[in-house]
Amino acid sequence: MNDTSIENHHQTMLTASGIVKSFGRTRALVDAHFELRAGEVHGLLGANGAGKSTLSRIISCHIKPDAGEVVYRGQALQSLSARDALRSGIALVSQETSLAPHLSVLENIFLPELGRPGRLSYARLRKVAADILIRLGHEHALPLDLEVQRLSAAQRQLVEIAKALALDANLLIFDEPTASLSPTEVERLFDIMSRLREDGRGLIFVSHRLEEVFAITDRVTIMREGRSVARSLQTANLGQSDIIRYMVGQDFSTAYSKPAHADSYSGSETVLEVEKLAARPIVRDVSFSVRRGEIVGLGGLVGAGRSEVAEAIFGLRPRSGGSIKIDGKPINPRKPSEAIRAGIGMVAEDRRYQSIVPDLTVRENLLLAHLGVHSGFGLGYAKLQRKLNLLIAKLDLPADRLDANLLTFSGGMQQKIIIARWLLLEPKVLILDEPTKGVDIGTRASIYDILREIAETGVAVVVISSDFSELLSLCSRVVVISDGRSIANLPTNVLDEEKLTLLAAPRTSTTRNTDFLQRLTAQYGGVGFWALIEESEVICLSSAMAAGATDTGLYAGQATKIAATRIPNALEQRAPFFVPDSEAACATILVPMRSQRGHDLGWVGLTLPDTATLPPPETIQSQVSTLNMLD
Amino acid sequence: MKAAAQMTTGISPSKNIIGGLTRRLEVRMLGLAIVIAAALSVMSPYFLTSNNIFNILDQSVVIGIIAVGMTMVILIGGIDLSVGSVVGLTGIILGLSLQHMPIPVAMLLAILSGAGIGLVSGILTAYFGLAAFVVTLGVMAIGRSLAYIFSGQTAISNIPDALSNIVYASFLGIPSNVLFLLALYLAGWGYLTYTKGGRTIYAIGSNKEAARAAGLNVLFYSVLPYVVSGALSAVASTFSIAQLLSADPLMGNQMELDAIAAVVIGGASLFGGRGSIIGTLIGVLIMVMIRNGLNLLGVSPFWQGSAIGTIIIVALLIERLVNWRSSR
Repeated sequence: MNDTSIENHHQTMLTASGIVKSFGRTRALVDAHFELRAGEVHGLLGANGAGKSTLSRIISCHIKPDAGEVVYRGQALQSLSARDALRSGIALVSQETSLAPHLSVLENIFLPELGRPGRLSYARLRKVAADILIRLGHEHALPLDLEVQRLSAAQRQLVEIAKALALDANLLIFDEPTASLSPTEVERLFDIMSRLREDGRGLIFVSHRLEEVFAITDRVTIMREGRSVARSLQTANLGQSDIIRYMVGQDFSTAYSKPAHADSYSGSETVLEVEKLAARPIVRDVSFSVRRGEIVGLGGLVGAGRSEVAEAIFGLRPRSGGSIKIDGKPINPRKPSEAIRAGIGMVAEDRRYQSIVPDLTVRENLLLAHLGVHSGFGLGYAKLQRKLNLLIAKLDLPADRLDANLLTFSGGMQQKIIIARWLLLEPKVLILDEPTKGVDIGTRASIYDILREIAETGVAVVVISSDFSELLSLCSRVVVISDGRSIANLPTNVLDEEKLTLLAAPRTSTTRNTDFLQRLTAQYGGVGFWALIEESEVICLSSAMAAGATDTGLYAGQATKIAATRIPNALEQRAPFFVPDSEAACATILVPMRSQRGHDLGWVGLTLPDTATLPPPETIQSQVSTLNMLD
Repeated sequence: MKAAAQMTTGISPSKNIIGGLTRRLEVRMLGLAIVIAAALSVMSPYFLTSNNIFNILDQSVVIGIIAVGMTMVILIGGIDLSVGSVVGLTGIILGLSLQHMPIPVAMLLAILSGAGIGLVSGILTAYFGLAAFVVTLGVMAIGRSLAYIFSGQTAISNIPDALSNIVYASFLGIPSNVLFLLALYLAGWGYLTYTKGGRTIYAIGSNKEAARAAGLNVLFYSVLPYVVSGALSAVASTFSIAQLLSADPLMGNQMELDAIAAVVIGGASLFGGRGSIIGTLIGVLIMVMIRNGLNLLGVSPFWQGSAIGTIIIVALLIERLVNWRSSR
C-alpha cells in the first residue's frame, strides 16, 4: 500500500452501484453492485438468471439500467451508447461471438474501424493486427486472411479478443468465454488473460465453472436473484462450497453423488450397440454399447467428434461405415425420424438452434417429437394428455405456463422441457449432448436426478459432456473419444478427472507414443505398452506387439486388475530393470514417462520372453527419456 | 358468489395474456379494418350498402383464394412469386381444355397443372435447397411465357356459359364463390391449427433444424405449401374465368404482390413461423376495401397504387412500433 505504483495499478476503474433493471415483468437486477480495479481479473458469478449477463451488458452499455449508476474512471456511463462505451475502452467479448462469418480475420478485428470516415489502409491494419497477435502470443495461430467461418471456436474467441485490443480496450468483459473451448484452449486463454492483467487492464470474467474461477480470478462478486450477495471477495479466501453457497443460497453436496458401479449392469441386456461407426471426415472408428438402465458417458475434448457420433447415430449426419444395433437388430437411420422410430431420442447440444421452436408454445414444443411419429391426420394431443400431466408433475414443469413462449424460460427449464419431449415417446435410448450447457448449478442437480430416474425406468442413456466431473458423477462407464476414435471404454470407478484428461489427449501424442512402442518391439521383439498404474489396476492406453509375442493380458483402452494380468510381479514392482513373471515365462521393464513440465504421463513397459537376451535397462530408459524430451 | 368472482379474477389475467399473445395482432388488424370501413362509409354513403358489401366479398374471392396458399408458403419461410402467372397459365389451360372436354374434367386438369407447377417449385426449394425467391421468379417468367404461347397471344372467349354457374349459383342468398371462399378459410384455419401437417408447417418455418431433429417430415411439408399454392392459383383462375367468361394470358398479372401484401398485413412474418389464416383474411379484406373505396370516391387508378402501398407500409410500421414498445 505504501508503494505508489502498486497503488496506481490497483486503482478502481469502475464502480456500479444500486443497479436496477427490469424486462417487462421480470426483474433481472434488483440491487446490483460491482467494483473493478485496474490489473485484476474479477469473477462475476451466479446461477443462470442471477443477472450476471444483464449486469455485464449494462457495464458495456448495450442496455440501460432503470436506476443506479455506473462510473468508469470518473465518468458516468449509464447514458452512453454501446459505441461510446467501446470508444472509451470497454469491450464485451461475448459468448455468442459477434463476428461477421464471411469477412476475413483482419477485417473482423477492425470491424469497428469500418464505421469511421476516411480510407482504410490495409497495410497499416495488417501491421497493427500482427502486433496484437504477437502480444497475445498467437502470431502463428491465426492467418489474417482466413474467412472467420472457417475458424474453430477457440480461434474465433481469439479474434474477439484481438478486436477488443485493436480498440485498445482497458476494460474487457469475458462472458462465459470457455463454454466452447477445450481444456488446452482454456489454458491458452488464461495465459492471454494474465498478460492483459499484467498490462494493467481490468478484466471481468463471467462464468459458471468454479475450477476456472479459482484458476484465473483475483476477486469475485457473486449474484443471486438480481442482487450482489457477495461483493469483491478475495478468491484466495474462498472454497468451492463457499461460492456455491452464495450462488444457490443453500448447502449443496448432493449433486455429485457417486454413480452405480458398472458391474451392476452386467446382467442387463444390451440396448444400443455401435460398432466401428464412421462418418468421415470427423468420426473415424467408434464402438461402444449401452445396457438397459445404464448411463454411459462419451467424453473427450471439444472437436474430438463426440457430437458427431451422436448425430451419426441419430441420422442427422451421413455415415460412411459401421453398424448400429438396437436390441440386437441392426438399424440404418438416414434421418432423425427413422432413428426415432427405432427408439432413439436425442437432446442436441444447441438448444436454441436444434431443439426450440420459438413460435410454438411450451405445450407444442413438448409435443413436437410426438407430432413426428404420430401417424394420424389430426394432432393426437388429447390422447397424450394424461401422460403429459404425469411428466409435468414429475419433472416439475410450469403447468400454468404451458401456453407461454419457451424462450422466456431459464436454460434449465428449457432443457427439462426438451427432455420431456423425448420422454413422451418412451424411447429405448436417450442421447443427451451437453445436457447441462447453459444450465445453472441449482437446476443441474435436478437434471442429474431426472437422468438417473430415466435410466432406472430401463432406458439406455448416453451423455456427452466436456465436464469430466459431470461424467464421473453421472455415468457408470465413460467411452473416451479422441480424434474421431473411441480409444477407451472404462468404468468410472477406476477413473478420475486427471486420467480422463490424459485419455482424451489429442491423438498426436498417442500416435507418437504408439509409434514409439512399435519401434521398441520392432527392435527387441515382445510386447510394448503405455499404461497408467493404480494401486491394484492398470489402464492400458496403447500397446504394440511383435509377431509371436506372449500375451500380457493388457489391451489398449481397457482397465484390468493387476492380479488378472499375466505380468502381476512386474506391475507390482514397477522396477527400472527386467522383472520376471515365471508363469508367463517373460520379463518386464517399466519406465515412468513424464512430460516436459513434469506431469506424470504413466508408464512405458516392455515385456520380453525370458528366453530372449535382455537389453541393458539403461538403453530402454534413455530411449523413453528422449521421447519425453520431444514433448 | 364472492369465491366465484375471486376465482374468475384469479384466472382471467393468465387467460388474457394467452389470448393477447395469440390474437393480439389479428385483433389489431381487425380494428384497422373496421377503422378503414368506418372512414370509407363516412366518405361514401354507398360503401356500406349491402350491394357494395357483396361487391367487396366478390372482389375478395380471387385474391383471397390465392392468399391461402401464399400464407402456407410464407409460414414455412418461403415465398411464391409465381402465383400470378400460374393464374394466367392455368386459365389458358382451362380455356383450351373446355373446347374439348366436359367442365369438371377441364377444371381438374387446370388444378392438377397448377399443383404440378407448385410441386416443381417445392422440390427445387425444399430438396435442392434453391432460394424460393429465385425459383418462383423463374417459374413466374416461364408461366407467363407459356400462357402467351399456348393462347396464341389472344384471349380465349368461347367459354361455355355453364361454367358461370359455379360463381352465380347461390345458397341462402350468398353467392357460391363467396361461400367457397369462407369454406376455404375455415378449412385452412382448421388445417393449420388442428392437424399434424399444419403444426409441422409452423414448426418448419419457426426452426427447421429443430423440426428435423424432432423427427418431423420436413421435406414433405416444405413442398406441400407450394403444391397447395399452385393448385389454389388454378382454382382462383377458374373463378375468375367463370365470371368473365374469357381466359386472357395476362390474367393474374402482379397478383402475387397483392397476395403477399394481404398475408403480410395479416401479420405473417416473411421469415416464417408466424402468421395466421384469419389474419390473412383480414388482410385481404383491407386490401379489397381500400381499392373499392377509392373507386367509389373516384380516385384515379393511377393513384390507387400509391394509396395501397402507403397503407401497407404504415400498417406494418405501426405494428413494428407497437412491438418495440411492448418488448422494451
